[in-house]
Amino acid sequence: MPTPFIMPKMDMDQESVFIVEWLKKEGELVEKGEPVIIVETDKITSEVEAPASGKLAHILYGENVEAPVTEVIAYILAEGESEADLPDSGTQTAPAEEVLEETEESAQPKETPGKIATPLAARMAKEKNLDLSLIPAEGEKITKDDIVAYLKEGDQVQPRVKTPATPAARRLSSERDVALDQVEGSGPRGRVQAADVLEAASDQKAKFIGIEPSFASGETVPLSNMRRRIADRLTASYQETPHIYLTVEVDMFEAEQSRKRMNTLAVEEGSSPISVTAYLVRTVAWALKGHSMLNASLTDEGIAVWEDINIGVATSIDEGLIVSVIPNADRQSIREINQKLRYLTKQAREGALTREEVQGGTFTISNLGMYGIQSFTAIINPPQSAILAVGALKRKPIVVDDQDNIAVRPMMIMTLGVDHRLVDGAVAAAFLAELVKAVENPEYLLM
Amino acid sequence: MPEITYRQAVKDAMVEEMRRDERVFLIGEDIGTYGGAFGVSAGMLEEFGPERIVETPISEDAIVGAAAGAAMIGMRPIAEIMFMDFILLAMEPLVNQAAKARYMFGGKATVPMVIRMPSGSGTGAAAQHSQSLETILMHIPGIKVVAPSTPYDVKGLLISSIRDLNPVCFVEHKLLYKEKGEVPDEEYTIPLGVADIKREGSDITVVSSGIMVHKSLKASEILADEGISVEVVDPRTLKPLDVDTISKSVKKTGRMLVVHEAVKTAGWAGEIMASISETPAWDYLDAPMRRLAGKDVPIPYNPKLEAAAVPQVDDIVQEIRAIVHNKY
Repeated sequence: MPTPFIMPKMDMDQESVFIVEWLKKEGELVEKGEPVIIVETDKITSEVEAPASGKLAHILYGENVEAPVTEVIAYILAEGESEADLPDSGTQTAPAEEVLEETEESAQPKETPGKIATPLAARMAKEKNLDLSLIPAEGEKITKDDIVAYLKEGDQVQPRVKTPATPAARRLSSERDVALDQVEGSGPRGRVQAADVLEAASDQKAKFIGIEPSFASGETVPLSNMRRRIADRLTASYQETPHIYLTVEVDMFEAEQSRKRMNTLAVEEGSSPISVTAYLVRTVAWALKGHSMLNASLTDEGIAVWEDINIGVATSIDEGLIVSVIPNADRQSIREINQKLRYLTKQAREGALTREEVQGGTFTISNLGMYGIQSFTAIINPPQSAILAVGALKRKPIVVDDQDNIAVRPMMIMTLGVDHRLVDGAVAAAFLAELVKAVENPEYLLM
Repeated sequence: MPEITYRQAVKDAMVEEMRRDERVFLIGEDIGTYGGAFGVSAGMLEEFGPERIVETPISEDAIVGAAAGAAMIGMRPIAEIMFMDFILLAMEPLVNQAAKARYMFGGKATVPMVIRMPSGSGTGAAAQHSQSLETILMHIPGIKVVAPSTPYDVKGLLISSIRDLNPVCFVEHKLLYKEKGEVPDEEYTIPLGVADIKREGSDITVVSSGIMVHKSLKASEILADEGISVEVVDPRTLKPLDVDTISKSVKKTGRMLVVHEAVKTAGWAGEIMASISETPAWDYLDAPMRRLAGKDVPIPYNPKLEAAAVPQVDDIVQEIRAIVHNKY
């Protein structure tokens, strides 16, 4: 019996996953536990392992498509099995749920476990590609009559209706002139529900009105789950949150000197050099301790002020943007933060971040300095109340003392975006002043 | 409106009818001095005397037989069976005599009698004193079956039952006797065969009767917090059944769950579902109709097992959730 390859459910309220890539093609051999598919859920890209060893067959969902969870997406054939052993083999239109049902049925205890077949019955079963273990026997052995009866029974259990649908869905489909077999069912085992028909009906109407793009487009890139999520969240944040922005220019001279000394020590110690971002995460966490409104969220009940200071760091990856989180950044050393950041960035680029590593952020830092950006504004990552956009270090001549002496200093522009619903300009300014103080004088972190 | 108990409402209905109509009398075991097994007729002997509060030997056959005979000659008997379980001893006079006489004599004889019987589990009375046998009675042509859930319903329906020309089996769930509710002082009746919507909702229709109405309403409260809007329909009269009201409700909600304490196999939930599938409501169903009923076991004596044998609020909540979210 071929092993059904069932798409696992990774999250409680998850209904589908996006298949990014099949690492194995149909017909290739797979080992049990070997990664076979790369899938993408809301935030995370992960691998799905083969449930059994054998030959991958009958892939029902290709790449760049949504596949339902807890349903069959392919089969794995054991040695000696062929496509013909698949339940409902050959029919392309056979929906996965019917296949699943049959496998469930066959998983029930057999009437004749381990019964042997007469030579004639065995030959017939082989010719008809029947699994002998599924055939109930009248007597002690499986006989020709048992095979004939089994085949006859098989003929009879064809489903009466091709598309499972509720009575309400059937009524609506005829009222609204929607072909049931064109509707994707959201009910149990793919059954078409009334709501599915209504949705299909409105889609049909939309198509009829003609919302076709009128411009010539080169290529339409399917929206990945991550892209869609970024789009939804940021649109909501931009529309619902009244942003105000405050910009400061910081003299990074002391910080850079300090970072240089730290890096010399780090090299001696054999650990990795400290990045500007790691330094900023630590400093922001320090400054947030006295300014809790910037480490808070607006909720229906009121303003939730978070006890923990978890700094999110926006990282750009091929598919988009992901914010990985340094938990309790105020209680970690710069070295610890640095190590964690390097690890998280690597995981993010490989798409291997876990859910825990991207959740629970209370403040976000977005650093585009490495691209030479001078300054920019960022959209708050809901439900947080603030985001710090950091530009590049640029050497500039500036006045460094009250004698109007000019020196060349590494300058950096930081723009703080805050949710004006809970953070007023003065509150944000006070935080920013504290932050600048610590960035320019790293000794504060030691005090 | 004053609040009275279900027990008081039953008694008030009997007392008022006995004052109004001298043909009405009560017959049963321990209903006089003792006041009835559940205290329903307490004090009635003092008002009406032994002629109209007729205490019998321990023989349900005799109680129902005597009541049927009295009804045929023009009286309006109310028979009290101490526990519904004991009606089985009176099936011959009930099923073969009382239920048939009006038909067999072409309407020349009527059998205007009421048999009151406390039903159901929940009192630790074990397998022989806890059954819900209403389906057996519903199966017999010529008998009406009434199962009220509130003090208001029980009074109005009992008066209608006493005035009805047919044998009426009047099922009172034991746990309801203490249930309180508003009942008007002035006389009123509730027609047999008319269901009542106990709570309006839009996501699912729950049909339940007796004690299960109250459990369904509690479940509805819990589910309302989750955004599931439950309509609770109480048929009140199980036979004749108000299919029309249930059908209209199902047409509106597209889903139906029937809850009863009687065991599931051949229980009346199946009858309601079958009736609904014969109405236009069928084409509005967006989920399979489901039953939540007593387990197919005699009611256990152990209180935990007793509670597990019949649907509880939590079971109803879970079942409704499953149906509404398509997870069954």
